[in-house]
Amino acid sequence: MKKINLRQASVPIMFIIICAICIPLSGLSPKMLVNEIVTRMGRNAFLILSLLIPIMAGMGLNFGMTLGAMAAEIALILVCDWQIVSVPGMILAAIISVPISVLLGIFCGKILNRAKGREMITSYIMAFFVNGIYQLIVLYLMGSVIPIKHSTIKLPRGYGIRNTVSLLSMRQKLDNMLAVTIGGVKIPVLTFIIIAVMCLVIVWFRRTKLGQDMRAVGQDMEVARDAGINVERTRIISIVISTVLAGLGMIIYLQNMGNIATYTAHSQIGMFCIAALLVGGASVDKASIGNVFLGVVLFHTMFIVAPRAGAYITGDSMIGEYFRVFVSYAVITVALIMYETNKRRAKSAASQRLQEEQDAESPAGGENS
Amino acid sequence: MKNKRQFLFRALAIILILALAAVMFVIGRGHTVYFDNKDAEYDGKEYEAFYKVVVIKDKEKVAKLESDDRGMTDLMGQTLTVTVEITDEKGGESHAHKVSMPVPYSMDGIVINVPALMAGLPAEAYMSEFVPIAAEEEDEDEEVVIDEFEISDDV
Repeated sequence: MKKINLRQASVPIMFIIICAICIPLSGLSPKMLVNEIVTRMGRNAFLILSLLIPIMAGMGLNFGMTLGAMAAEIALILVCDWQIVSVPGMILAAIISVPISVLLGIFCGKILNRAKGREMITSYIMAFFVNGIYQLIVLYLMGSVIPIKHSTIKLPRGYGIRNTVSLLSMRQKLDNMLAVTIGGVKIPVLTFIIIAVMCLVIVWFRRTKLGQDMRAVGQDMEVARDAGINVERTRIISIVISTVLAGLGMIIYLQNMGNIATYTAHSQIGMFCIAALLVGGASVDKASIGNVFLGVVLFHTMFIVAPRAGAYITGDSMIGEYFRVFVSYAVITVALIMYETNKRRAKSAASQRLQEEQDAESPAGGENS
Repeated sequence: MKNKRQFLFRALAIILILALAAVMFVIGRGHTVYFDNKDAEYDGKEYEAFYKVVVIKDKEKVAKLESDDRGMTDLMGQTLTVTVEITDEKGGESHAHKVSMPVPYSMDGIVINVPALMAGLPAEAYMSEFVPIAAEEEDEDEEVVIDEFEISDDV
């Protein structure tokens, strides 16, 4: 039987306790709570799955997934303007977003190869940089250089995109297709099928030659290089796959929401997805599909109940709102500190072992001198 | 040989994706269709509005129109198929007609005059583009929020 690492399980256990306290205080009925969790699982799981492959390749938590989210938003804005609706609109948006995501992924991967060992902070800052380019495109080029026809999307000044773009024509079209209601809980079957297929693809991918290479690179880059693996290329591929999946995940996310917050939708998505994965018990160097689902359930349960519990305890729902944002950032901080501590501990243990080996080998030499 | 095969597979994949995108462009094109139960005139002949018209699309009643009324529905794709139930006079029996027609790709909004359509007139007589009345120019430009963490002057 697999032994549970208490240290690693501490974050999920903490969240289980928080949820156990907050759920009764929130006053939400079990049906409503389950409904919300199922909806959020369909909305977020694909996005979080996109984080697994870079972790496998030893590149840590890919804050650069935001790049894929931006590619998806650009694609959705164009599709909206062309009036391609419902599921065909989503498929077309996916087709448009993939090449943009690939280009951004290659760019991101190349830069991360120059910042080995500092991938997370680099990808985080890179997301800000690409956000600037995204704003340039959406705020100035769309409508002036890139044709945008509809005034409902365009800013009144004649160029640039409005703060919110309505996706009413595709809202929950994927979720409602094949949806079943069991005991008052709506289950978006097709969305779950897509997520399940993605999970199977990840399981299959781990067993492929490329997947094995990524694991080897993740364990030790130098050993992998000596074994003939093109480390740089493998790392770039892992980031490209992650960015493309994040783009597709963002389309699923936004079709569920029913609108795009043009300038802010992507900015928080990376943070919340990473927080959810960490809450599920993942770490910077190890994550599984199980962590994704446990994370979605626990993190989003906290998200749903915290404001209401906060309102009950303090009379102000904003306290709960602050609490959930605070917890999101705190869990990432704790995970990063734990990762760094473990890394240093392992490093000092290794150097201590080396020292002991050297001492054991040279007592005679030491005495002679 | 291997390279050639790889190139062929990649080219084929790209062509397939482009073809899929083209199909999505056609089958996913959304239109808003407006049904007018209003008097029409064509070639100097007048066609009077019906007493009552009910438009059914995909087994769902999408518009119930009395004389001079307008109703609307959303359409995805390039063919509009509806059942029109017409009542000619008060207390009279209604008669249903199934109508199917191609809609122009370029039009976002399409107005269909039901009396002209039922009279079997050509498409230009019963179909026209819906042109929204230009709203009064917005005085203020929408303020764009690009940074949630923007540091304001108060800090």
